[in-house]
Amino acid sequence: MTLEIGTVALTMDEIAERLSGAFPGELADVRVQEPDTVVARLDRAKLKDVARRLKELPQLAYETLNWIAGVDLGTQFESVYHVYSWRTNTYLELHVPVPRAKAEVDTVSDVWPAADWHEREAWDMMGIRYVGHPDLRRILLKDDFVGHPLRKDYVDLAENHPHA
Amino acid sequence: MVPDRLKVGYPKLENFQNPNVITTTADFLFSWARSHSVFPFTYGLACCAIEMLSSGFARFDVARYGMEVFRPTPRQCDLMIVAGTVNEKMAPVLKRLYDQMAEPKWVVAMGACATSGGPFYDGYNVVNGVDKIVPVDVYVPGCPPRPEALFQGLLELQTKIQQHSFAPRLPGAPDG
Amino acid sequence: MPDQFAAPEPDAAVKLALQRIRETTTAGQGSDMEGLEFNEVVVNMGPQHPSTHGVLRLVVTLDGELVKDVIPVIGYLHRCKEKLAEKRTYYQYIPIVDRTEYLASMNCEWGYVMTVEKLMGIRPTRRAEVIRVLLGELMRIASHQVAVGTFVADLSPLGTAMVFYMFRDREVILDLLEEVSGARMMFNYLRFGGVRYDLPSGWVEKCRAFIRKMPKLIDEYESLVDDNAIFLQRTVGKGVITQQDVVDYGITGPNARASGVKLDLRRTRPYSVYPELDFEICTGTHGDVFDRYKVRMNEMHESLKIVEQCLDMLRPGPVQLGSLRAPYVITPPPGSCYVGQENPRGEYGTYIVSDGSRYPYRLKFRDPCFCNLQLFPKLLRGNKIADAVAISGSIDLVLGGIDR
Repeated sequence: MTLEIGTVALTMDEIAERLSGAFPGELADVRVQEPDTVVARLDRAKLKDVARRLKELPQLAYETLNWIAGVDLGTQFESVYHVYSWRTNTYLELHVPVPRAKAEVDTVSDVWPAADWHEREAWDMMGIRYVGHPDLRRILLKDDFVGHPLRKDYVDLAENHPHA
Repeated sequence: MVPDRLKVGYPKLENFQNPNVITTTADFLFSWARSHSVFPFTYGLACCAIEMLSSGFARFDVARYGMEVFRPTPRQCDLMIVAGTVNEKMAPVLKRLYDQMAEPKWVVAMGACATSGGPFYDGYNVVNGVDKIVPVDVYVPGCPPRPEALFQGLLELQTKIQQHSFAPRLPGAPDG
Repeated sequence: MPDQFAAPEPDAAVKLALQRIRETTTAGQGSDMEGLEFNEVVVNMGPQHPSTHGVLRLVVTLDGELVKDVIPVIGYLHRCKEKLAEKRTYYQYIPIVDRTEYLASMNCEWGYVMTVEKLMGIRPTRRAEVIRVLLGELMRIASHQVAVGTFVADLSPLGTAMVFYMFRDREVILDLLEEVSGARMMFNYLRFGGVRYDLPSGWVEKCRAFIRKMPKLIDEYESLVDDNAIFLQRTVGKGVITQQDVVDYGITGPNARASGVKLDLRRTRPYSVYPELDFEICTGTHGDVFDRYKVRMNEMHESLKIVEQCLDMLRPGPVQLGSLRAPYVITPPPGSCYVGQENPRGEYGTYIVSDGSRYPYRLKFRDPCFCNLQLFPKLLRGNKIADAVAISGSIDLVLGGIDR
């Protein structure tokens, strides 16, 4: 098999329309960000189901996960997924709001294997727990680090600086 | 600089017909030999490691100072060049490797990160200078220091090594 | 006095490796394997190791010489870059982006500067665009020289001539870049809307002299190892990355192209003046270690072609947008965006969320080596430990980018 890039010629507006049509009521605020990204918001309860169907969409199959970022928006967190479709050569950016009080969201590492380490990093840095992840532990910081540094309310603790 | 009491005159080449005798202190002889055949430890952590590599290769040849034998194991080294940022996760590893080196040993803190934390000084995970973990002999500032700057640091270190004395110190005597 | 001979307490990664051994040994209950003893050993490679190209720690479970499992442990160079972005202005952050993938600093700056320019809705001047491509491709050659040089140096105990030749020629490239920007490695040269300095007089002739003699030198490097039977035995057929791996794990760059996938962001998501340039995407066929090495060598040739075309494309003009010369504080409008560009190692980009203030609200790096390293356990399983060194060198890791 030779992986082909850009075999399906669709304009960005057509792609946005197809996505809205394939996921009615699930993908909100679908808009196009030039030149080749569609941005949408997704409820966290529907994430796993939509992720599976996104990967198997005819013509638009979003088969590769580029990155996952955790963002602290003050009132809530956001888990941002950036996925790529080989056939249309376009990207889809999914914003999944996560409440601050119970920062949990389903894992997508069984849909896109690349999500494994990205979710570990989001857990490490932001404290968003990915339910169902095979091995959710700290990846960049030492194992006994206290706190999640990229949160806006993180305060530098003396326990994290034994060698200061 | 090298104090006068440690300097010795080298025999002139014209005198090679006559038997050649050098009288000096054992300290000077061993320290001179040590300073010109230092085995550095490849402790390149970050970007400074690339400049350390460059200084080992053809244009900036560190072999002319006798230091081209970079050994990867600390047990065979006497100089640890800490090239790069040390963070809280790496600090116990650094201490462990320093302990594994045999005496006499020296440490060169290469770069701004090893000297004082560098551009990352206010990171939550960064140790502000490797001297918080191990004693440092020479600091080489720069981000990254040019190979020539590293050589100046290594030459200062050579001077420092030449002042090393392995005679047992009498109690109350100043450090040699 | 701490006992330097005492074994350290097993940490989370080693405990996980030991637990996995226990699970596989108990799996034989009730079968004809029951009661057999497994002699698997957990060995630590790194974080200080000559062949891991940085502070990468591999907790390797070995059965004799066969690698059963690898748990990469990273974070020994985590320098809190994403948090520092929230405390530095956009201009103050450019030198820090330099230090992400320190072998390809010019390309890293480019990835960051492109995202901010897109947020602000500005385009750099034409001359600045051409200079960016010019210097980016020179940096690509320098980066591949270190990558391939250290990879070949790992296969033989640092006594190979190839890495010495490559570093000798890399110094010429660094001289050219130093003349333009003032620094050998961390350039701090790109600005929003252009570049900091124009090319000095006489630089174009020096660059042309360099690209005239370089193709023969690249052929010289290849002649040193291409026919070496030991090199071929150690690299051909080892560490194969399949196209399914490329899709599953988001592998980009020469690692993906060696598997036959024509994924090059300079073509698939063109930026800057790349649409006007004539160059080929170098691909391999098998996706093994040898193909990755060959793709990098061919890319050096293609980069020289691009540099020559850019030198012909240079026209007099400003190198910075007039409105942005001083003071160096910008406030992009609120919003978020991501732009990826083709780093020598793959797709490198920054995702920036701006809230309209002088400091970025959230900055996330998409690092190619972080994504490529995820494939490690799958690649190394079933190979001998000596092949692990060859495979890890061919993936071309830079820990500054992985750990950020």
